[in-house]
Amino acid sequence: MAGARTARVGPRASPFMIGVRSDAPVEMARFPSEEWTKLYAEKLNANKSYEDAGKNWEGAITFVVQKDSALDKDAFIYLDLYHGKCRDAKFSLTESDLPTPEYKYAGPYGNWRKLINKEIDPIQGLLTGKFKLQGSMMKIMRFTKAAKEMVNTTASVQTEF
Amino acid sequence: MWFFRSPQVVFGDEALSYLSSLPIRRAAIITDRYLLGTELPERVRGALPEGAESLAVGDVSAEPPLSEMTAHLEKVRGFSPDWFVAAGGGSSIDTAKILFALYERPDLTVYDITPLVQLGLRTKSRLIAVPTTSGTGSECTWAAVLSEENEKRKHELASPEILPDYAILDPSLVVSLPPEQTRNTAADAVAHAVEAYGSTWHNPFSDAMAEKALELISENIEGVMRDPGGLGPRGQVHIGASMAGLSFSNSQIGLVHALGHSLGATFKLPHGKAVGLLLPYVVDFNYDACPERYDRLNLLIPPKYRGRRLSDSLRSLLGMMGVARSVRDAGVEESAYASSMDTLVTLASESTGMVTNPKDSGSEDLRNIFIKAFDGD
Repeated sequence: MAGARTARVGPRASPFMIGVRSDAPVEMARFPSEEWTKLYAEKLNANKSYEDAGKNWEGAITFVVQKDSALDKDAFIYLDLYHGKCRDAKFSLTESDLPTPEYKYAGPYGNWRKLINKEIDPIQGLLTGKFKLQGSMMKIMRFTKAAKEMVNTTASVQTEF
Repeated sequence: MWFFRSPQVVFGDEALSYLSSLPIRRAAIITDRYLLGTELPERVRGALPEGAESLAVGDVSAEPPLSEMTAHLEKVRGFSPDWFVAAGGGSSIDTAKILFALYERPDLTVYDITPLVQLGLRTKSRLIAVPTTSGTGSECTWAAVLSEENEKRKHELASPEILPDYAILDPSLVVSLPPEQTRNTAADAVAHAVEAYGSTWHNPFSDAMAEKALELISENIEGVMRDPGGLGPRGQVHIGASMAGLSFSNSQIGLVHALGHSLGATFKLPHGKAVGLLLPYVVDFNYDACPERYDRLNLLIPPKYRGRRLSDSLRSLLGMMGVARSVRDAGVEESAYASSMDTLVTLASESTGMVTNPKDSGSEDLRNIFIKAFDGD
């Protein structure tokens, strides 16, 4: 990995703050990184559509960013999701450092780039094998809207690759 | 990257006779409870290759619950079929898809039937669908709906591997369809075409199917309602309904089905009745998200039904067919509806149809559409 870093103007926003003020500093983070994970969690907690769609959801998910020609090491983004909010978010390059999630959404780095740039639909990405989902299908099939909102939220993070 | 998936489609006069050309030795014939006493099972048996043995699983109820599957599956396993022949409405075909999957893979549960799991079917048997209604499109789709009686929920199961190998569209099998089923299933087919066309996953293949389906159904359904025994219009609507099935199977359903599954499960309304009445309200809701596409579809509806907007035209067409204009017209009692509103919204919001609808919607949007649809315009 080229090394995580945060590019920002002005003071850093608090992790997990709800909502982003219009005069808030524009924050940009490299994907994948700890800074990106925190920004993502903030954006997710500010996403009213996700809050609505995920209001009955309980369970953690890990985004697995698999190494490819542009990323030399796997990266893991753990999200503890509960009733439409992200209660905790952690980033690691070692999966065993993170709690065991109920779900994993995994794909190569290049596909994550396309997803964040909205060049891949998150569900079509699964159906065409660009991403893999591990976990109980029975439960998640009732929360496809929430899952879509989660992935759509990645596009709202100012991301550097 | 995306796909266009379709069974081999056999259509037209005497299409059922095609069964005799297939290498069938042991056929499990899955059919509706009410069709068991008709000539249908015998016609299917008679069309099988000479010497083929058959087992009729003839007690499939409308929109069958999960609990029915266990008994059906035991019968099927005891018979060891090499082909499943689903002959009936959408419930029979959906049941056959589920039995086929669980017979092929005894280690699976119905909840494993998702597009995200490689099932590895077709090691022992194959699947043929012979629809006796014109509307569900199940013969051409990789989806199956299963009721959950205790939860008043409909599970939307899907896997490309449960797509039938063959769809046999024989118009002689639908000429005796009663008027109410003709109306409800045709309304369902219209909803499939419109939802597929508006879907965020629409593509040139699904568009072509949706356009032709709407054209065939809207041009011929009046003739079917007037002269139910007329093979010509029946055959056109039958083909149109399967094309509508191909359209949504290759692009996905939307909010009409999300709301319709919820309404149907909660108040035991037939599926086509529920989606038919909701369709114009959802089209109104969606219009500003895809005006060009809806305007284009509107031009395919015959001038005698065509209004300024697609929703006007659909109200006119569905009205001619006798589809209820509101939830109240469909026989739902107001106080029961009001007290079920939270359940209706929750069930709808958990449908996969929420994901591909052209306009993003939240719980309040769903609630507003349900409220508006109660008394109608």
